[in-house]
Amino acid sequence: MQSTVDSTSSTGATAVVPRPPRVRRRRTTEEQEGRAGYALIAPTTVLLAVFYLYPLVQTVGYSFTTWNPATGQTGDFVGLSNFTGLFQNDEFLRAAGNTGIYVLVVVPITMAIGLFFAALLAQPFRGRGVYRALLFVPYIAPIVGSALIFSFILSPLGGIVNGALTSLGVAPIGFLNSEPWALISVMVFSIWQGTGYAMIIFSAALTNIPQSYHEAATLDGAGPIRRFFSISLPLVVPTLGFLAITGVIGALQVFTQVYILTQGGPLQSTETILYFIYQQGFVFFHGGTASAAAVLLLIVGIVVSVIQLRVLNRRDTIELT
Amino acid sequence: MTEFTAGATARRTARPAVRTHRKRPFSARLRLATPSILRHAILVLGVILFFGPFVWMVLTSFKSSAEALSFPPTFLPKVWHFDNYTQIFSVAPFGTYYLNSTIVSVASTAGQIVTSLAAGFAFSRLKFRGSGVIFVILLAALLVPFEVVFTPLISLLSQFGWLNSYQGLIVPNVPSILGVFLFKQFFESFPTEIEDASRVDGAGVWRRMWSVVTPMATPMIGAFAVLSFVYNWNNFFFQFLAVTKTDFFTVPIGLAQLQSTNAAESFNLLMAGSTLAILPVFVVFIIFQKQIVSAMAGGLR
Repeated sequence: MQSTVDSTSSTGATAVVPRPPRVRRRRTTEEQEGRAGYALIAPTTVLLAVFYLYPLVQTVGYSFTTWNPATGQTGDFVGLSNFTGLFQNDEFLRAAGNTGIYVLVVVPITMAIGLFFAALLAQPFRGRGVYRALLFVPYIAPIVGSALIFSFILSPLGGIVNGALTSLGVAPIGFLNSEPWALISVMVFSIWQGTGYAMIIFSAALTNIPQSYHEAATLDGAGPIRRFFSISLPLVVPTLGFLAITGVIGALQVFTQVYILTQGGPLQSTETILYFIYQQGFVFFHGGTASAAAVLLLIVGIVVSVIQLRVLNRRDTIELT
Repeated sequence: MTEFTAGATARRTARPAVRTHRKRPFSARLRLATPSILRHAILVLGVILFFGPFVWMVLTSFKSSAEALSFPPTFLPKVWHFDNYTQIFSVAPFGTYYLNSTIVSVASTAGQIVTSLAAGFAFSRLKFRGSGVIFVILLAALLVPFEVVFTPLISLLSQFGWLNSYQGLIVPNVPSILGVFLFKQFFESFPTEIEDASRVDGAGVWRRMWSVVTPMATPMIGAFAVLSFVYNWNNFFFQFLAVTKTDFFTVPIGLAQLQSTNAAESFNLLMAGSTLAILPVFVVFIIFQKQIVSAMAGGLR
């Protein structure tokens, strides 16, 4: 682009004629490009505006009203009372607390097990690819299908876990319908489901570490465990941050496993924020309350995402250097 | 992998020198091998915990309903009930679910590829007013989880008359900010010389996109297609809300429905259904394992 302009201007003194039409032709191609540009981004932007941004604006608006999703009537403007109501609503507080416990337990354990397997699989050896693939399968399987498998394995009727407990002389446990086992079971499921993803991300980070670091440490007499804690672990800290934040965002949106495994029970002991929003919006038709809870979820999500962008940016610079 | 083969050949060529190693006492050889034995032991245990449930699912799907609930549990079915898989199609319209899942997943995936590729190309290669601002707005929208906006979205779909319809299940899935972002990044990693050359030859924007850039992007399209298909096939939450009629159930919705109506006594059928739900993703995974893993790990950058 730039070079053609330069060559015309340098030869322009001798070649008199072609200059004005060339300028005009260039402008039209740019106009063409501009129009094509809008046409090419139109499908994505228009669909996002209709099915994403417009509902988002509506969510914020409805959070100040007594909107009823069943009738579609916006209802009355009630100011902040939907929000203040949430903080006096035991069910919401329970759901928020469960989501908090879930984040604090599931995210670190998932990352720790994922890192453990990634470290075991860091060096090439026979069968590595098979191990990695089999450990990764739970992450790509449909959650409904795998949650059904868990509901069978944990069932008091014929479930293999209770079968093993009985043969050890322990009374069967209602893993999915008694406290605190129901929440523990949902969390164990989520750890099982998410570990493969953490493993793959950590594997990518570990392969980025130059082999020479490990060789140098080996020459200095560092064993594999020492090498892991002194070299690998410090160098995957940015990845740890990234996984922690994506893990938190994922945990804020937990729904499917709760719906399949426990339906939020017993006594709301496994209810999460998204499950609460779903129930308010689609079971009780309290659209205002659902929207207010969604706005709170949005605020938390944005805060976490902004931190994520910061971490990602820092991670980029580390990777580039 | 390459290191492994290199090490193997090195060992083979160096055999005479290594012969002394054979004279190591058994205990020393065991000590040398221990890290590797321990590693395999841990990994086998991991595979049993992480992949074992799927094996259990498939085995149970061939048992009778009584055997599935029997105690102590049997490992292999006493009698292989292949008819569980035919029975499930009569218990619930699984054929319809399968067809719906296929239509929705394939159409959503195709839509995501076409729109993301076009927008990614435009943002990376074309100059037009406001492109920077629009791209930043798109990125900002990435901060908003879909789960936040679903209540008004479903009522919007109902105003369109799109609940219980293919367009309702497909169209809202089509815009993919992540896809736009991935394709933009991908195109920017390519030098522009070939396109410049074709531009000098008089190729317009469309020619450049379809004949020059798209063929180069084939690996990226493949990786994104696989990820997108798996995501769409597994999707539950949105479809669960957008569909109430059995005619438009997808496999995950159908399974959830089967669970709530049949309860505990037919785990063998539920496991057959789960197997059917997981099978397509599993096949795709076996074929495209490398692309999935590299796209997941590479999609972060």
